[in-house]
Amino acid sequence: MRWLSRSYLTLVYLLLYVPIVVLVVFSFNDSRTGYSWGGLSLRWYDSLFNNHAMVQAMWNSLWLALTAATVSTIIGALTALALHRYRFRGKRVLNGMLFVVMMSPEIVLAISLLGLFLLLGLKLGYVSLLLAHVTFCLPFVVITVMARLSGFDERLPEAARDLGASDFTMTRTVLIPVIMPALMAGWLLGFTLSMDDVVVSTFVSGPSYEILPLRIYSMVRVGLKPEVNALGTLLLVFSLVMLMLSQWILSRSKQ
Amino acid sequence: MMRSIKQQPFRAAVLVLVWGWLLFLVLAPNMLVVGASVMTRNPSTFISLPLNLDAYRQLFNPLYLDVFLHSLYMAALTTLICLLIGYPFAWALSRVEKRRQMLLIFLLIVPFWTNSLVRTYALKLILATNGLLNSALMSLGVIDEPAQLLYTEGAVIVGLVYLLLPFMILPLYSVFEDLRQDVLLASHDLGAGRLATFKNVVVPLTLPGVLAGVMLVLLPAMGLFFVPDILGGSRNLLVGNVIKNQFLDARNWPFGAAASIVLTLTMALLMFAHRLSKRRLGEEGA
Amino acid sequence: MKKLALAGILALGLTGCSSDDPQVLNLYNWSEYMPQEVLTRFEDETGIKVVYTTYDSNEAMYARLKLLDESAAYDLAVPSTYYVSKMRNEGLLLPIDQSKISGFDQLDPELTGLDIDPSNQFSVPYLWGTTGIGVDTADIAGEPVTAWEDLWDERFKGKVNLTNDMREVFHMSLRVLGYPGNSTDPQQIEEAYEKLTELMPSVRTFNSDAPRMPFLEGEADVGMIWNGEAVMGKESMEALEYVYPEEGVIAWLDSFVIPKNAKNPEAAHQFISFVLQPEIAALISEDIGYATPVLSARELLDDEVAGDRASYPTPEDMVNAEFQTDIGDEALQVYAKYWEKLKSGL
Repeated sequence: MRWLSRSYLTLVYLLLYVPIVVLVVFSFNDSRTGYSWGGLSLRWYDSLFNNHAMVQAMWNSLWLALTAATVSTIIGALTALALHRYRFRGKRVLNGMLFVVMMSPEIVLAISLLGLFLLLGLKLGYVSLLLAHVTFCLPFVVITVMARLSGFDERLPEAARDLGASDFTMTRTVLIPVIMPALMAGWLLGFTLSMDDVVVSTFVSGPSYEILPLRIYSMVRVGLKPEVNALGTLLLVFSLVMLMLSQWILSRSKQ
Repeated sequence: MMRSIKQQPFRAAVLVLVWGWLLFLVLAPNMLVVGASVMTRNPSTFISLPLNLDAYRQLFNPLYLDVFLHSLYMAALTTLICLLIGYPFAWALSRVEKRRQMLLIFLLIVPFWTNSLVRTYALKLILATNGLLNSALMSLGVIDEPAQLLYTEGAVIVGLVYLLLPFMILPLYSVFEDLRQDVLLASHDLGAGRLATFKNVVVPLTLPGVLAGVMLVLLPAMGLFFVPDILGGSRNLLVGNVIKNQFLDARNWPFGAAASIVLTLTMALLMFAHRLSKRRLGEEGA
Repeated sequence: MKKLALAGILALGLTGCSSDDPQVLNLYNWSEYMPQEVLTRFEDETGIKVVYTTYDSNEAMYARLKLLDESAAYDLAVPSTYYVSKMRNEGLLLPIDQSKISGFDQLDPELTGLDIDPSNQFSVPYLWGTTGIGVDTADIAGEPVTAWEDLWDERFKGKVNLTNDMREVFHMSLRVLGYPGNSTDPQQIEEAYEKLTELMPSVRTFNSDAPRMPFLEGEADVGMIWNGEAVMGKESMEALEYVYPEEGVIAWLDSFVIPKNAKNPEAAHQFISFVLQPEIAALISEDIGYATPVLSARELLDDEVAGDRASYPTPEDMVNAEFQTDIGDEALQVYAKYWEKLKSGL
């Protein structure tokens, strides 16, 4: 029984990782056709970095993910604090709305935002992308921070105040350090969601601000492009580093 | 008391910001979609008055109903496969000793952190006629001629399962984690066989996890339009493709909006079922 | 506070905006329809940065242009044949100042002053071509493929490529049935749909981003392809042949137009002039395999290119050729309905 479950786990992991291994291996493949092995080469990395539109899209995406993650972390943290500390009318409605954003199909969020931006006459580009990305990242940050706050000893801020700390000092020295790991985890999650999003971005982006997922989408639709393998490998390494960073932060904060 | 007054400006600012954001970017846009779905299609301005339910009627026209049902079938099949793979997987995972469990969970979410388009593209490399799977099978002598794998419904299902499997496993894993060993032992002591224990104890206790997983898989499986685009030869296999076409190609906004509302309602129904199952479980436990 | 937050975000957006540079040309074009070299040379020569975004069907281009109507997003687009008249009639285009276009007099008189834009007030021809049949002669046995009808042949089951273009696919089917390719008769359209459902088991993929790719990847052996794609595909796959079907090819003329709210019409004019230079036009035709309307460029072409029947058809090849025309919104909805269903594979 034990043997069976072990080999089953191994099999599923194998299936999950085969495509990723293929991708990485083929990114170093010299062959042009993309299916057969033609020797080791870095030519696809080279052609990737010589593609100006691609590099531009990469920077655009990084900047968008960076800002979207930051804005959603700030707003998300404030929301979580408000939900945790204050009583106010409509708290359940607010909670419900966040839940709706998280659960509603991406494509519905996409078209609803497109409708709004068109109605407002907002130019589709960086700003529309930012607003959309912050919106779909928000609930994830709120949940992460809320989870952290719920395990937090309420007597700590009381004690700090009893010892004469001002409200500001208390927030800075007690609250912020406590939710810091959650903020970072939420930020990283938002960053990844933003870098990966195709569905929402397809609808709310314009030509003035081209981003990586859409660029990849148009490349992949055209056919086999070995540059995509190289790009995928870079993205994989990048997210692995980010993921390990977040794990490290989380484990350090637990100690 | 003093403190809450001192905090008032901060509190007010936070609440206004949060409420503002959600009303402006969640509630208002969704209302717009509802509005658009009851308007009339207009070739030059997208939508116009008068209000009517034509879009919904169109949706239940046999022509489109078939498309919708077929998409539902694709999504349901994806969900079922995810469940069949994920259920034993989550169970086996919860039995591994704690320290290795963390590593295994980590390995499970690494693919999730990798760009989904790129992963879909990698599947194309494997499934193509000249691709790796066909070459491997041919060199092993299993088949003589390359099989048609890419640009089929099967390829789309494989793609969806591959992208969504972690979303099924994680909630299942968490319910298996909570499934206490002594409950199973008690059931055994009371004379229940393995099958009876599974049917009467394990299944009901893990039901919320199953429903959560179904929710997290079924809906994206209907909306991820890029998977059929890449692996299905641009066929419209999902409602997502139809919705996207209505907005970005055919310019039939009321119809696209109506289709999205049906999609949202499906989600609401699932969430309701999820809550119900959780509540029932809670009552039984009490 | 909401406004304040919004203002803050907008301010953030401005600092993050990389396109402050006024000298940008937003070119909206078909996938793989302009050699990178041309863009680079234009950028080097004028200092204007070209942002190249792509679409895979006229419908998508038109919908997006209408969608972004107010936000002045695109400076130049390349609609096919009747989409020029459609967009012109709907007031979506800016007039083109012919005095700013050098090389206009070099254009083939047969391709200017057409019904779609009688005095070329709104459009300048870029390339013209045809949609015919691509055949991977190495992979098929038996009778040679000569007609659209042959796509229905049993031996091509699971090996047919269609363009992801509603009008073209129906055009093809209508011609097989002996109807006009621009039919507006719902009865005929339905028949064409029925005929296409018989083809569906044979259809491997719909590809309008690069229809040569399914052939090169070994997924398709026969099917609809644009002539230029066939020419490009032949470079890496000798066996890929372009066939002019007996029922007639679908002919089209792609023209530059300037959308109504273009931000940089000056640059758009500059770009059109640049592309009309005989040397550049010849380079484009040689590189991507479509026929250039610039007469003086044809003299500069390699004999091999100029003599390639795929790029430059003989009059016999064009016997039953038909241009697509605007069929009106009502008929379009009929087409769209069946197209959705067809593509669902039901």
